Amino acid sequence: MPRDPPRLFAKGACEAVESLSIRTPISPEIAGNLTVGDAFALHGKILCARDAALSRLVRMLDTGTLGDLAEHLKGAVIFHTAVSDAGIGPTSSNKVEIEGSIGPLSAAGVRIHLGKGAISAATVARMSSAGSVFAVTPPATALFMDKIVSRRILAFPEEGMEALFELDVRGLPGIVAAAKGASIY
Amino acid sequence: MTTRCERVEGLVKELLITASTTFRPDQYRAYERAIARETNPPSRWAMEAMVENARIAAAKRYPLCDDTGIPHLIVEVGAEVAISGELLEAIRAGVAAGQRALPTRPMGLMGNDEQRIAQSGGVSSDPAWVVPPAMLVKPIPGDELRITVLMLGGGPELRSTTVKVFHERNAEGVIREAGRWAAEVAAKLGCTPTLPCIGIGRTHYEATTMMLEAMQEGDLDCQSEWERIVTEMVNASGSGSLGLRGTVTALGCFIRVGPQRASGQRMVCMRPGCSVDVRRATVTMRARELA
Repeated sequence: MPRDPPRLFAKGACEAVESLSIRTPISPEIAGNLTVGDAFALHGKILCARDAALSRLVRMLDTGTLGDLAEHLKGAVIFHTAVSDAGIGPTSSNKVEIEGSIGPLSAAGVRIHLGKGAISAATVARMSSAGSVFAVTPPATALFMDKIVSRRILAFPEEGMEALFELDVRGLPGIVAAAKGASIY
Repeated sequence: MTTRCERVEGLVKELLITASTTFRPDQYRAYERAIARETNPPSRWAMEAMVENARIAAAKRYPLCDDTGIPHLIVEVGAEVAISGELLEAIRAGVAAGQRALPTRPMGLMGNDEQRIAQSGGVSSDPAWVVPPAMLVKPIPGDELRITVLMLGGGPELRSTTVKVFHERNAEGVIREAGRWAAEVAAKLGCTPTLPCIGIGRTHYEATTMMLEAMQEGDLDCQSEWERIVTEMVNASGSGSLGLRGTVTALGCFIRVGPQRASGQRMVCMRPGCSVDVRRATVTMRARELA
């Protein structure tokens, strides 16, 4: 079995780091302590969204029409994934509507953006000023199946698998790829 | 009594599920070699998770990746095999049955041309709405009918390219150009280790079909010199698994070269496969089994 969550891995010059158990919602202090290379396992409620829902969330943010969804963004994790009976797994975070959402949603309170693929230096800078981080997770859909406790649609049901979902997860793993203005890219 | 078409439909249904849930032995062995070679622990951890994911997927018949992909079909027909439109329809019905049984991800868009492009006509909840493109049908010698199902996910499609390359009478130069593309997109792809698949032909269509044949036939245990060159070029990027940095960014490479024409250019298709590529399964039937 793989280490789940990853227990030890090298950071910088062979400095060993314990992985972190992170419960949502995430405080600014916990997010502020995360640095590139930190491994973690997520517990609690997370949001799942990709191209369609993220672009709609940003439009609502721009027009001040988020309503109750605003509370869901505070201290949130947004996993860039579809949600369906085929499971969950990271989609490319550098697609225009997804990467374009990272800055505005960080400013609205999202603390961890979880996905895959290199993001730009400009996005890393916007996250840094808002106190959020970008993390990656393996495309391990079968492995993630038993980490999902429950799921429900929060908004945009007409988008199908691209709706805004809320999942309750136990031990969903990730590794910080960009934080505090630094990144692995 | 089961008819010929019912048998084919059932076999194709199982093919699709196998392709979506199963690593081949050469994939497992390639990961074993990569994990042993990887020097960066986070990248090694990511690959270990990918192997464990594959074991669970096979045991529980879960998709390897939630992006179950677009099914592509290659049908090879022996000279002694008679096929009909009814049989081709049975193959398509088998794909739909497999999609509903697994199930694959329901991501087919509804509506007219404009609505499907703008994603404004809604998403079908039926996994079988994700219909395969036209089948690639090829004649082969003998009395066999071979059907291959390939599942092509969206991440690699974002980073694929089909474009002319001026060969300047230097074959390795063409291969290295495709290797440069694969190395450049590895970090953006995210789902690494990657598996670049390359086809070279006379037209865009032929280059793409050669790339599909490379996906169909490639073997990670048996890499050509050109395939090793591309793999080394991608690994030299240092992007590593999931972009976490490391020695292994590519598990290998599949290349297929088709007929060429007298001209200064070659059409080259490069698809940077992701960490679950190639998702494929093939069944072979004899003419007498189809009677």
